[in-house]
Amino acid sequence: MSDNREFIEEFLVESGECLDQLDRDLIALEEHPDDPQRLASIFRTVHTIKGNSGFFGFSKLGSLTHSGEHLLGKLRDGKIRLDDRVSGPLYSMIDAVRSILQTIGKTGVEGEQDFRELAQTLTIVAAQDVTESEPDSAAAASAVADLAPPVATPPAPQPVATAPVATAPAQPTPAVESPKPVALMPSSETSIRVDVGLLASILDLVGELVLARNELRTVESTNPALEGVIHRINTVTNSLQEAAVKTRMQPIEHVFNKFPRTVRDLAVSCGREVQLVIDGADTELDRTLIESIRDPLTHLVRNAVDHGIEPPAERESKGKPRAGRLLLRAFHESGQVTIEVQDDGAGIPVEAVRAKAVARGLVDADTAALLPADRVLQFIFEPGFSTAAQVTSVSGRGVGMDVVKTNIEAIGGTVDIASHPGLGTTVRVRVPLTLAIIPALVVRCASERFALPQAAVGELLSLRADGGPRIEGLAGSAVIRVRGRLVPVIFLDEFLGLRSTTAARNNGTVVLVRVDDHEFGLVVDGTQTGVLPADADSRQPGTSGMVTEAASLSTIVVKPIGSLLAQLGIYSGATVLGDGGVVLILDLRGILRAADLPPLERRVEAVAEQAMAATESYLVCRTVAGRRIAVPIDSVVRLEKFASADLQTAAGKRLVRRGDGYTPVVDADSLLGVPAGPTGTAGDADDGSINLVVLDDRCGGIGVAVRQILDVAAAESMLQSILAATGVAGTLAVGGLATEVLDLSALVAATETIPDVGGSHAWYPSADSLS
Amino acid sequence: MADIPHDIRHCCFRVGGDCFAVASTGVTEVLRDGRITRVPHAAEAVIGLLHLRGRIVPVIDMRRRLGVIGAASIASRTHLVIRLHDDWYSLLVDEMLDVIEVAEHQIEHPSKPSADTPNDAVIGVFADADKLIYFLDPQRIVQPLARQREHFFQKQGTSHGTV
Repeated sequence: MSDNREFIEEFLVESGECLDQLDRDLIALEEHPDDPQRLASIFRTVHTIKGNSGFFGFSKLGSLTHSGEHLLGKLRDGKIRLDDRVSGPLYSMIDAVRSILQTIGKTGVEGEQDFRELAQTLTIVAAQDVTESEPDSAAAASAVADLAPPVATPPAPQPVATAPVATAPAQPTPAVESPKPVALMPSSETSIRVDVGLLASILDLVGELVLARNELRTVESTNPALEGVIHRINTVTNSLQEAAVKTRMQPIEHVFNKFPRTVRDLAVSCGREVQLVIDGADTELDRTLIESIRDPLTHLVRNAVDHGIEPPAERESKGKPRAGRLLLRAFHESGQVTIEVQDDGAGIPVEAVRAKAVARGLVDADTAALLPADRVLQFIFEPGFSTAAQVTSVSGRGVGMDVVKTNIEAIGGTVDIASHPGLGTTVRVRVPLTLAIIPALVVRCASERFALPQAAVGELLSLRADGGPRIEGLAGSAVIRVRGRLVPVIFLDEFLGLRSTTAARNNGTVVLVRVDDHEFGLVVDGTQTGVLPADADSRQPGTSGMVTEAASLSTIVVKPIGSLLAQLGIYSGATVLGDGGVVLILDLRGILRAADLPPLERRVEAVAEQAMAATESYLVCRTVAGRRIAVPIDSVVRLEKFASADLQTAAGKRLVRRGDGYTPVVDADSLLGVPAGPTGTAGDADDGSINLVVLDDRCGGIGVAVRQILDVAAAESMLQSILAATGVAGTLAVGGLATEVLDLSALVAATETIPDVGGSHAWYPSADSLS
Repeated sequence: MADIPHDIRHCCFRVGGDCFAVASTGVTEVLRDGRITRVPHAAEAVIGLLHLRGRIVPVIDMRRRLGVIGAASIASRTHLVIRLHDDWYSLLVDEMLDVIEVAEHQIEHPSKPSADTPNDAVIGVFADADKLIYFLDPQRIVQPLARQREHFFQKQGTSHGTV
């Protein structure tokens, strides 16, 4: 047996792939029961497993697959039709085969499990002869019969290329797959199995080559022949590097392929009807990451089927199609892989989450009331959080979303959730393309260089002795003020015990870093600026340099630093830069732990604070009617001033032309429901121009016209929504005065109902009236 | 010992005034120069990282590791790169000497390995014609240099108070 070990390994790997294929084929066959090619494929696969198990003497496997093959034979011959009665046992057979294979993989023998009952069921089902089939499928079935050898014989010794394909006119394609012996998988010709270790060493060697190439480029030469050679080596090295990096990549298919079966089983056990749509299965990412996203994604899919999609009857009563739609979508986006799990189910009840968060003490009721919906949804990532009224066997036990988030973040990814009541939920997972090659920021600190994973880096702040951001002491710890927030800082030189330079504190750079839910600043001397010209666009993922360096953002190859140094817990690896220098990669999570920063805030408060931070600074303006209003500063894209003559009217809306587009204009007073101003049409600033506060796309890109822009100020009080009125979200104290905050969410709706130019609110002379 | 161990070849090197040796089976290569990158917070004897054909190798200064007084310039010294399980290490030595063949029975073993001294890695002594050669166990060279996170935390804890 041990001599066979190698062959058995291969048999196990191949059979495992066969089973995945079987799952997919069977599901496809359920949708199109008359697809003879699909049926032929299933038949072949089962037959292959059966033949191999006979060869290795796995009798249980042999007899089980024999029963399955017998049943499939009846299907193929049109003796019985595929329905739940038939597909159920077939799925069970696939599971049983999988389980036996796993046992063989672990122990080398088939194990004690007894599948005789299942084999019997398969035989009984096969015996229920229905002999009712359409002429077409009978013809098709005969074509299939020619594709596969008779049940009882071993794999056909000669190819079946002589199959009389022409006799099955409805099926022009079977010949494509047929001229091969049955025992071969169709894909075996274009791909081979290669040891992962070998690929890794190739990648290492290519890295070496790149370094040598970089060195070569620095060689001064007057010999034109040498110049040519260097250029060629340069080009070839770049291409080689790209190709080598690609060997690490695998399509996400390897994860997605499991889902048709998972969804089918779940749908059956939860009493749902689900139409699974998979998009972008060919999206590639690092093979080491494929495994890491499997469990989180499975969880999200389970959630979507069990919690998201409603039972068919409920869906019908809501006017939705009986079958819910579950979309799995993967695509590359800005150097990352985005995977969306989207259902068209009931959505997450935001208010229930809010109430639950309060009940669980995650947030106090007052703060909770202020949190916007998208922020509230973040609570479902808290450990043990579930709003499912009933715990089912599938999900709702309150373990899960936090684990999903933890797992995804562990590989440097993020999870976002968006939900619309009644319309469905979208969970968006973003993961890096690879962990081996990451974009990083290289910083200088006390004459050393360090790399920071770019995924954690938020922004860079330059410290200047004369004004600008500066570091302040707070209860013995250093903090920096960032747009009203206090962020703790760590002096990297001090933390690492490097020669401390006071220069860094006055002229250095603060790298704002976010790890899990903590934000902190890392004070360094500065960022690395180009050591060597980049070989390629180093921002472009998957194609670019392992060791290239652009201005300050580099794509680096993460290399292990060995157990001796990894135990320190503050370095996650090292990399070699384009100049050949070795640079340590900082483990920001570890640094955060080791630095033991004073807790400036409890975590939940941090969540609330973030919500508030979004509306902390305001642009204060005076309207034409003299009202003092405030607009959250981060909703403002720009301020504009233009002559009132530039105002135009189109389709009953007022617009101002900007470049090649138009900005819709509404008047601040009309939003507040203030009647026509006392000044009538002379509502402009004193010099006959109009001040426009242009809002971002979330607010429809609208320009709000005001008389005067007064100030940018931080709110001094909490938003008092009690005082809300038409178009006003609430009132707060800004600059010592009560100020009305524009209700931006109402703004978009309001623009639809703004009276026409000709109405009483037409304070600006329209272009028509001027001409 | 009756059976002759197959790894009787040893690489000898000089650190300070003494002669040391490691089994040649673990030695992957010897190189003269190499740019070393510091690793803050690593043990004192771990003076940095060396880039060796795509591999990042910690460099152990054998002078510091063996408690030899006085520092020699790194540039004049030699990297003896050894492999230990899956990790590689560079032992920075003053000078490479011969490769010698010494059978196990010719090596005298100390009755009790001296723990917690710079000599804790010495597992045997061989009296050559003109000098003593100390045999080192690579595992024991590296082991005490591992710094646990706890150790690190304590250090940080104390320094943090002065911030």
